[in-house]
Amino acid sequence: MSKNKYWQSFGQLNATKAYTEDAANEFKEELPFEMDDNGAKTPRRDFLKYLGFSTAAATLAASCEIPVKKAIPFLNKPADIVPGVANYYATTFVLDGDVIPVVAKVRDGRPIKIEGNELGFTKGGTSQRVQASVLSLYDTARVRFPMEKTGEGFKEAPTYEAVDKKIAAALTAAAGKQIVLLTSTINSPTVLTVIDEFKAKYPTAKHVTYDAVSYSGIIQANEVSYGKKGIPSYHFDAADVIVSFGADFLGTWLNPVDFAKQYAGKRKINEKNPTMSRHFQFESMYSLTGASADERYTHKPSELGAALLALYAKVGGAVTAPAIADKRLAAGIDAAAKELLAAGGNAVVVSGSNDVNAQIIVNAINDKIGANGKTVNYGTMLNYRKGVDAEFEQLVADMNAGAVGAVFIHGANPVYTYRDGKKFADALKKVSLSVSFNEREDETTAECKFILPDHHYLESWGDAEAKSGYLSFIQPTIHPLFKTRAFATSLLKWSGSTVADYETYFKAYWISKLGGQIAFDQALQDGVMEPAAPVVAGASFNGAALTDAVAKLSAAKKGGKHELVIYQKVSIGDGKMANNPWLQEMPDPLTRACWDNYAIVSPETAKEFGYATQAELDEYEVNPPKRVLKITAAGKSIELPLIIVPGTNNSTIAVATGYGRSEKVGRAAKGAGQNIYPFVGFNGATYEYVVADVAVEKTDKMYDVVQMQTHGTYDNRVEVVKETSLAVFKKDPKYFINERMAEIGPYGGIDGLEEKGTLYPVFDKPGIKWGMSLDLNLCNGCGACVVACSAENNVSVVGKTQVGKYHDMHWLRIDRYFSGDMENPDVVFQPMMCQHCDNAPCENVCPVAATNHSSEGLNQMTYNRCIGTRYCANNCPYKVRRFNWHDWNGADSFKDNQNPLVEYGRLNEVTLDMNDDLTRMVLNPDVTVRSRGVIEKCSFCVQRLQEAKLTAKKDSRPLVDSDIKTACQQACPTNAIVFGNVNDKESAINKVRTQEGYNRNYYVLEQIHVLPNVSYLAKVRNTDRTVGNHEEGHEAHGEEKHEEKKEAATEAAH
Amino acid sequence: MSLLRYESQVREPLVDGHKTYHDVTEDICKPVEAAPTRLWWIGFIISVALLLFGAVSLYKEVVYGTGMWNLNKTIGWGWDITNFVWWVGIGHAGTLISAILLLFRQGWRTGVNRAAEAMTIFAVICAGQFPIWHMGRVWMAFFVMPYPNTRGPLWVNFNSPLLWDVFAISTYFTVSLLFWYSGLIPDMATLRDRAKKKWAKAFYGVASFGWTGSTKHWQRHESLSLVLAGLSTPLVLSVHTIVSFDFATSVIPGWHTTIFPPYFVAGAIFSGFAMVQTLMLVTRKIMNLEDYITISHIENMNKVIVLTGSIVGCAYLTELFMAWYSAVKYEQDIFFKYRIAGPYGWSYWLMMTCNVITPQLFWSKKLRRNIAFTFLMSIVVNVGMWFERFVIIVSSLYRDYLPSSWSVYYRPTIWEVGFYLGSFGLFFTCYFLFSKYFPVIAIAEIKHVLKKNGESYKEQMDGIEEQSVEEFAHEHAHAH
Repeated sequence: MSKNKYWQSFGQLNATKAYTEDAANEFKEELPFEMDDNGAKTPRRDFLKYLGFSTAAATLAASCEIPVKKAIPFLNKPADIVPGVANYYATTFVLDGDVIPVVAKVRDGRPIKIEGNELGFTKGGTSQRVQASVLSLYDTARVRFPMEKTGEGFKEAPTYEAVDKKIAAALTAAAGKQIVLLTSTINSPTVLTVIDEFKAKYPTAKHVTYDAVSYSGIIQANEVSYGKKGIPSYHFDAADVIVSFGADFLGTWLNPVDFAKQYAGKRKINEKNPTMSRHFQFESMYSLTGASADERYTHKPSELGAALLALYAKVGGAVTAPAIADKRLAAGIDAAAKELLAAGGNAVVVSGSNDVNAQIIVNAINDKIGANGKTVNYGTMLNYRKGVDAEFEQLVADMNAGAVGAVFIHGANPVYTYRDGKKFADALKKVSLSVSFNEREDETTAECKFILPDHHYLESWGDAEAKSGYLSFIQPTIHPLFKTRAFATSLLKWSGSTVADYETYFKAYWISKLGGQIAFDQALQDGVMEPAAPVVAGASFNGAALTDAVAKLSAAKKGGKHELVIYQKVSIGDGKMANNPWLQEMPDPLTRACWDNYAIVSPETAKEFGYATQAELDEYEVNPPKRVLKITAAGKSIELPLIIVPGTNNSTIAVATGYGRSEKVGRAAKGAGQNIYPFVGFNGATYEYVVADVAVEKTDKMYDVVQMQTHGTYDNRVEVVKETSLAVFKKDPKYFINERMAEIGPYGGIDGLEEKGTLYPVFDKPGIKWGMSLDLNLCNGCGACVVACSAENNVSVVGKTQVGKYHDMHWLRIDRYFSGDMENPDVVFQPMMCQHCDNAPCENVCPVAATNHSSEGLNQMTYNRCIGTRYCANNCPYKVRRFNWHDWNGADSFKDNQNPLVEYGRLNEVTLDMNDDLTRMVLNPDVTVRSRGVIEKCSFCVQRLQEAKLTAKKDSRPLVDSDIKTACQQACPTNAIVFGNVNDKESAINKVRTQEGYNRNYYVLEQIHVLPNVSYLAKVRNTDRTVGNHEEGHEAHGEEKHEEKKEAATEAAH
Repeated sequence: MSLLRYESQVREPLVDGHKTYHDVTEDICKPVEAAPTRLWWIGFIISVALLLFGAVSLYKEVVYGTGMWNLNKTIGWGWDITNFVWWVGIGHAGTLISAILLLFRQGWRTGVNRAAEAMTIFAVICAGQFPIWHMGRVWMAFFVMPYPNTRGPLWVNFNSPLLWDVFAISTYFTVSLLFWYSGLIPDMATLRDRAKKKWAKAFYGVASFGWTGSTKHWQRHESLSLVLAGLSTPLVLSVHTIVSFDFATSVIPGWHTTIFPPYFVAGAIFSGFAMVQTLMLVTRKIMNLEDYITISHIENMNKVIVLTGSIVGCAYLTELFMAWYSAVKYEQDIFFKYRIAGPYGWSYWLMMTCNVITPQLFWSKKLRRNIAFTFLMSIVVNVGMWFERFVIIVSSLYRDYLPSSWSVYYRPTIWEVGFYLGSFGLFFTCYFLFSKYFPVIAIAEIKHVLKKNGESYKEQMDGIEEQSVEEFAHEHAHAH
């Protein structure tokens, strides 16, 4: 080795004294611990340093370990996916026959929200089920792989290929016997052609359509009357007079979204020239549609035929109508007939009955009043329901006779929905090959030999033809979550097609049909393809069968003392989506009850069953336990709690379908209500949803029915709800203004209230000021907004027990008020959410300023600051603040505190379901999931507002109306909600308040000077009755007075 | 001693029996120095058991959420805040007795002030539990403290009456504690001087702050008492006024009422005196202190009860009148449809009976001086006052502006009741410990009134009363 010496500095080379000292004391800076004179190691002055350090260290060491959740970035980022930025895909909501074109919002690969497709015929409207469907994608009860029955239970089948082989063998073995495709209504052109191919391969194959709730009556009646076996489309937008016999066309009948949109067009008030359609509703129970009606009459369920015949006679039909005993009803039929005739064809009569004869009379009436070809359109047929009841009855008979060799079930669930589920189940056992394509192990699937689960629509390719010529397309928004396979793929495989799968088939079909990839891509992107103008045509009416129908209706059995009506709830419908917690927790618009079905009775009938005295009714109102009734018919009986709904016909007991599902259906549906389908009757042609004579007994049992609203009327509180009749409003356009002035006139009036109603200074509100307006005339109470709000804002589901404790979390609710005569009351729906008061009573009482006001007029909640004193909720006059009573979301500081509550019975299992990792994929990442112990409430979808502002800012332009839509506004099928920047003179909200809706505009409880930013447009009914229950004779508080105040205010300002 | 401070024989003595200074010391110190009695143990164990049940109830609430209680989206406060206001009200008598009566020179206060002040402190401690634990996130309770911090910084909202409560109650607690403790110092010194056990010597030695009984000490002690009395007097009025602001400043019909401050203060004194009665009647019996807490003490307090009870009654009627007179239909509905009738009507009438009607019986002197009746009434009044708060809070909230939000029937859960019982446990645990280790009557202050208001002194005066004027003048001519 070299002896050379390497040196860094002259100091080192020469080993100077300074250098050696430095080297010895390398870290020259002194440590902060001084040695004091006594040489103590930790002198007094350092005590605090040590204390501070050790406390901090101990805190760090001992603090709770925060679970590490990994977020792994893309290795190769797909071009069109930006983390944190949503993509939107046009697709189509398809559930059995229901079709709604939608747009799915996809964040980071997960669909999290469904919006209506504005290009489609529903014009962006959605329903509560559409909104909730995204949650069904993440349903934990979905079947996750193909399964084969072994013994009592199912076992995972290794591969689809293995299953295909077995099924192919079984199909060969079944040769000679019938091979049946049993489906709910399919309106996909491609799937129908695939079915045709399948039928071609297997000549004994046939396709039977079975709908849980049948429309066979209309289909068959149209075949008789017009030779068209189907359902015509209806044009409520062209009808000045609408007469509905129990058709809940705004709630559950065919396509309520489409109808509600059309209907709303004729209900929107133009203040300069107020006109409205006139809507008569004849029904036995209070339906959602009945709630919107101008004139509503009740009849016994068994009286429907008589009522229809009476109307037919009045409009000129050559029949002798049976006498109508009820004078009010008879008068109503008279009035309806007069108006129908006067409308000159711009009228429509619809009926919800499934009786062929009743529908033939409806056809006859429509023909008489000239609606055929105008409002009832046979040029465009509706494809929502195709099932013919007799065909299914035949199938059951064939199966029982052993004539069926194989049955493939898609969408249908007869073991649950058929009137004799057990009979079908037994028949199914006689079929050697039974395959279900249903997404869960429902009642029918449980009886099948194979389960080959189909995709959820958000994972699928496909198409749908809602009405003839109106096509919409389905494209997947996420890779299938599970080992599922499209129904049509299976059929293609089994029919030996050369096409590998349905996706290829679908693409090939449309590319060739549309003439190329570009056109196909465009169609997918739009999601819909519709004729430029609707084809409207009549059909020639064949009155031949009329006499027979009249005879049969006239001879109809008289009803007993109590009659049963089986109806569909707006939320749950036929029960297909019963395991959807959002739908289960959505309160029924009329009864405001959720998580159960029940027997609806009138107040008069309730007297028989233990609710006669005021004290008993008070008990009923404030306590969830309700008296249980035992309903018996044809040897079957069911025990259900009663719910009182004023306006129900006194002889009617109404029970909803869709409840009482089997345990395998899922944890949300489990235990909810009871199955009423066994009470459905069959008259030899169609199923009957009315049982004309049932025995009802009072039992000693009580059962909790949970309701989100317990008090029914608005008790004359006209500051809350304002309504009047069209006649009054036309005569006195200032009616509502006068009503408001009576209250606030002395305090500055409508324009001066803000300033004169207070001792405090008033602040300018420059820039953006968010505001919302809700039109009570357009709101039909359907509840799409309620579910949309839950989906957008991660609103927690609390389950039945907690709803019973009044712990529900809905940010947006639809209050239902009865008014007027309690025998035949009117209903007003009032969507209620945080009113974002400028002078908010909640804000000043919070000790920690957790809720405060933004410069844009938002009342905002800072969850992190909230300590949960609930003072704000107490002080909210609108009671819209919601407290997190328990750990709904697993977001608590106390880990695992949900399971003990579930065991203890204070939480339902649905909470665990909602907290499953799979279900949580539905959460909107833009909205904080709230922890236990904090208050939450409507934020006006602040995440959307921020996004809209940023977009406008990036584009260097002012914000415009079209940039923003709140979730409720977007979901609303009737455009009842207007939202925007009030300070923008061009905005819709500004126009509604100052021009278009000036005369009907009002603020709820404005007299308490909280200055809400949500306004309402008062309800106007097209009737001659006195509407509402407020006192007669509003004094002329007068416009003059208002003007005076205005002047005084102006003078004061100078 | 000057006979110019002559007190008429018509006035009843404040201390019965022929007590000397030494007797007073012996009587009051004996229970402290002797081993606890059987009764004391039974009471103490029950109290601790209740306290533990309260702790379990709170554990449930904190771990599983406020949903363990049956409050709901409409009724955000129920038993929790009812109990809070009730306990705060009870905590009013002590300071009133010690401060206001001191300033008014009411000699009779000496017999009861010590125990009443202790009761005040324990009641305020109990009261404080409710607003703390009713929070949804109690671990964030320190957010209500205004101090510079790194959380934003998160500053408190000085507009919120709930924050005013924080200051009002903590101030009241501090001043009451100081007042109580400064009064205790001379007595602690007495106990120290008598103590035979080592721990007792040490404990009372520290607790008496080196009190020697010098004139200087006495002078400072007296000045401090006066200063604290001056400070406490406005507090007696302010605390419940501020508590009433929680309701009065809101917009809820039935809460939004300007009458609340005086009405709440009167109610607080009412319930506070009732609670003092309950405790005193038991204490004097068990500890043989009948000579110090005499029938006339009891009668005096009953007079306060009938007065404040009547004020409260007037307030109730005024509320009803104002509801009618205001012509505000929301307020009328609350008062006439849903408070005096409706599902909670029973609680209103219970309140009326207990607070307004039955206390009127105290106009009868016989009943005022009847111990058993007084004891019964003291309980009745506090039941009534609990329901007053319940009526105000729950029956205003459950049916306010929007009929759609009217509540289902609110019943407490076992854990809600448990929390309340636990506060009793806390209160009585404290009270039992206090009565065992502290002199329950202010020894020094009793001695102060003994000479001129005690029975023994009054008897000495008999001879003088019978003297003729001349004799008296002659005998006392040289006194000065």
